[in-house]
Amino acid sequence: MSDTGAIKSQVFDAIVQLIDDKSINITDNTPLIGDGSLLDSMKLVELCLSLEDKALERGFEFDWTSDAAMSKSRSMFRTAGSLAAEFINQMEATK
Amino acid sequence: MIVVTGASKGLGRAICDRLTSKNLPVFGIARRIEGISFPCMSCDVSSYEDVKAVAQHFKKDKVRIDALINAAGIASMNLAVTTPPAVSRNIVHTNLLGTIYCCQLIAPLMLRNKAGSIINFSTIAVALGLKGESIYAASKAGVEGFTRAFAREMADFNVNVNCIAPGPIDTSLLKGITSEQIGRIVSQQIIPKQFTPDAVSDVVELLLDERSRSLSGQVLHIGGV
Repeated sequence: MSDTGAIKSQVFDAIVQLIDDKSINITDNTPLIGDGSLLDSMKLVELCLSLEDKALERGFEFDWTSDAAMSKSRSMFRTAGSLAAEFINQMEATK
Repeated sequence: MIVVTGASKGLGRAICDRLTSKNLPVFGIARRIEGISFPCMSCDVSSYEDVKAVAQHFKKDKVRIDALINAAGIASMNLAVTTPPAVSRNIVHTNLLGTIYCCQLIAPLMLRNKAGSIINFSTIAVALGLKGESIYAASKAGVEGFTRAFAREMADFNVNVNCIAPGPIDTSLLKGITSEQIGRIVSQQIIPKQFTPDAVSDVVELLLDERSRSLSGQVLHIGGV
């Protein structure tokens, strides 16, 4: 698995850790906010803290208050895939 | 660690002195930190980047944050129509955005522990709608609204958020206000006397005490209003 693939898998694993039904298959299109989302606001913050820790292990700071967090149309929290993509973007931006 | 903004003077300094006198660990934040004898860091709370640097410092050193006291604030007594835009911006940036930035960036350190207390500062000028303080009151009304909503957001994490709204306390913030003006404001309090920074520090201690865990999203008026 490529490094970005492994990181995406880590992000998806972090989501699974926070949901009750562990059998749910997390995909790029799994919504994190809005209709059908798996996480309430508390779990979303816990996910951010978990990703912050994973980022530190990889030597960068995960900024969950960035502009990318806010826009409804392109919020990083829109889907599991968009969150993983933003996480990877921020990691690559620090290289 | 208890983080106090506006730690170099006024209410912030009085609160720091009270807490350190009780051997509580205090970390002060202020624009100017010369002469501060407890751990501190220079920071302009109206600068998101400055506040972020403080939060990064805590993260890097794995400092456990138990409380945040947002005492940094500025005032300018003026009619709204005669207040220059730069002054209006400065008041809102420091009082409202400064409080929001500190909460946004330092609260996450408390969320990890699922415990903590945040104390913001408003003013009697909000409740009384004091003439000549409209912009200052607007910035602090924002702090009150933010406190009530943020308290709900933090409740799941066992972090309490409250607001203290003093009347005219004898600090440098009152310079330029005559004793007659102070007397008029004080006379509108439920307890019509001018309180000292000690009274504010008493309420801070109360809100930091485990026995006040049932209080969140509240605005506590020193002197009553």
